[in-house]
Amino acid sequence: MSLSVKNITKKYGDKLVVDNLSFEMSEPGVYALLGTNGAGKTTSLRIILGMLAKNSGEVLWEGKSIDVVNTNVGYLAEERGLYPKYSLMDQLMYFAKLKKVDKHTAMDRIKYWSDRLDVDEYIFPPKGKGRRASKSNQADQLSKGNQQKIQLMVALLSDPDLLIIDEPFSGLDPLNTDLFKSIIREEINKNKYLIMSSHQMPTIEEFCSDITILDRGKVKLQGNLSEIKKSYGRVNLIVKCEQDIASYISSFNLRIINKTPSEYHLRVQGEDEAMGFLAKLINDNITVIKFELREPSLHEIFVEKVGVDKDEE
Amino acid sequence: MKSNITGWKEVYSFTLSQVLKSKAYLISYFLLVLIVLVSMPVTSKLLFNNAEDENAPSPVNTIYINNMTSLTDIDFEDIKNIDSFSHIEFKTMNSDYDSLVERISDKEKSSAILDIREENGAYNLHLSMVKEGPINRSQLQRLGDAILSEFTSTRMELLGVSGEQLVLLQTPIVSKVTMTDISQDAIVDENTAISFSEYWFVYGILFFVLMANMLTGTQVATSIVTEKSTRVVEYLLITVKPLALMIGKVFAMMTAALIQMLSMVLALFVSNKISATYSPDSNSLLSQLLPSDLFGNINITNMFLCIILVFLGLLFYAVLAGLAGATVSRLEELNEGLTLFTLSSLVGVYIGLGAASALMGSGVNAFVVFAFLFPFSSPFVLPGAILVGKASLLLTGIAIVLQLVFIVLLFIFVSRVYETLILHNGNTIKIKQLFQISKNSKSVPGTSPR
Repeated sequence: MSLSVKNITKKYGDKLVVDNLSFEMSEPGVYALLGTNGAGKTTSLRIILGMLAKNSGEVLWEGKSIDVVNTNVGYLAEERGLYPKYSLMDQLMYFAKLKKVDKHTAMDRIKYWSDRLDVDEYIFPPKGKGRRASKSNQADQLSKGNQQKIQLMVALLSDPDLLIIDEPFSGLDPLNTDLFKSIIREEINKNKYLIMSSHQMPTIEEFCSDITILDRGKVKLQGNLSEIKKSYGRVNLIVKCEQDIASYISSFNLRIINKTPSEYHLRVQGEDEAMGFLAKLINDNITVIKFELREPSLHEIFVEKVGVDKDEE
Repeated sequence: MKSNITGWKEVYSFTLSQVLKSKAYLISYFLLVLIVLVSMPVTSKLLFNNAEDENAPSPVNTIYINNMTSLTDIDFEDIKNIDSFSHIEFKTMNSDYDSLVERISDKEKSSAILDIREENGAYNLHLSMVKEGPINRSQLQRLGDAILSEFTSTRMELLGVSGEQLVLLQTPIVSKVTMTDISQDAIVDENTAISFSEYWFVYGILFFVLMANMLTGTQVATSIVTEKSTRVVEYLLITVKPLALMIGKVFAMMTAALIQMLSMVLALFVSNKISATYSPDSNSLLSQLLPSDLFGNINITNMFLCIILVFLGLLFYAVLAGLAGATVSRLEELNEGLTLFTLSSLVGVYIGLGAASALMGSGVNAFVVFAFLFPFSSPFVLPGAILVGKASLLLTGIAIVLQLVFIVLLFIFVSRVYETLILHNGNTIKIKQLFQISKNSKSVPGTSPR
């Protein structure tokens, strides 16, 4: 199986929303789509899902044009979508039926996932009388996090080959974030294809091997995350000393990225410059508590490529 | 096309089951059926409980006659041949009018005064009674009718007209003007006008279809906007195409509305049957209010044609409502979005009403034929016209074909714009923009999914 996105372009009037986006997933894993708000991530995902018409380009799944009717796709949208007044069980069975999952299998999967996600009390509410009991299994009675869990169940009900998840951890507490992460890891281990869109850079670094950074519909950076980082080199230096080292930093002409009461976050030209700086500190009997030279984080790459102002938007 | 509508059955069954389970539907369903069920027995009871026995003796005992005409020999003794009036004593008024009125008011409340005058070449019969007496208006009216009949007969007899001659004189005259062609064969102008009762029958069916249409249309539109505003549509669209979603919804809502309407019709028949138990002559309410020949054209073929027309009409308007629902993003904007649907329905209804009135006034004319064929109005007026026998099979066939053509055209248009509309969130899409989208659904200004 493979997913191939080739030169997709989408316009709304004169506005170019997605400009010639291409990427390929020849092996199972997680591909990340990053970008600021309005960069075209969700539109790209909708085009990949076949939900939205494109102006040009093609999306191929197993070498054939992707078709929502015949491709087993799971989707977790950024905004939750459940019928507020219908019973959760009815909704889950409906989505399963639309994905051609037979009733028995659907019921087994609902039981499994409701137990796993700890929402069985809402899907199989204890039998009781009265208005309160009859309403307890409706979506509008659930918290945002629990609605998110139901939504993930909907995405996984058909045991999809391709899973597209848009901001999967938004609105989740740390415990449930870990629960979602463990489920995503399981899907990766089952050799599934995942496309993830998120603003949480550490999460992307945790799961994704390949990335595309979008800015106003245009591809700003694309490729394997490790290689991208390697290409930047180890230029990030974090130094913590007992004495103040401001004069040493200025004498070496190093750029201060960030300063906390105890640490300096510096940008160096390369390892030689960093080692020279360390040697000078040791020579002058400065007590070095922490000296860390590393590649830039995804967050730093993102900010550099897209710009601080846009990120804050 | 097949893959475009794959999954519509699942959408249909889910939507229908949820609508039928919803409290709003169940409450309105039972309430409407209950109202229809009790309406006729209650009407019947109110009508016939107050109806008096026509053979019961009239409470009038004495009638004082004040005859001021030249017909001095007139008397009303023959009225006594009627059982209910046999005890009435007719007396010539001897005292003056005012003192007689005073006496009747004080002492003879079961008496009445018949004042007969000849004024401006006409006879004027005035029967009056005491307001607070035992005689009510309907009893006095019945007596008045008998007196008028007797007066007419007696007057004719006094003029030398026999009973048989009188019957001949009273025979109604029906006139008919015909033209003949050169071979002297009469060219008969068929009278295609409908009666007042038939007009109300056509009006009733029009109103019934309008109700079903509004119910289906608003439910389809509401359902689509709800799915858009709750973002459920995004999850549905990864499995089914927009067209399949709409077809499933339209048929589900039509089924729900038809279940409601057919239950009401069934309840109407049951209600009508029950109403017979409250009628003195055991006739149902409808059979007493409507002429018996009204149902002469109700047969299986006509019923089948009517069902097809109503079904196609509902389908047409429901698709229009679905399109209207997709043009808005929030429920509170739905009224604005439904303008196109409401206007089209109103145009159809008013043309239908106009045609029904024209049908009653002058029969089938060019406007009526237009209303029968025009797809906006034909579902409203044609079923009624078929059932009163004023629409030919040919005309009905053409109307059905035209309706089908309009539905196919609408579907082609909808399939071109619906995919863009269903994910649109923002301002309501105007009609002009709809046509722009149909030309090029991939890039229309102001229609973005976010």
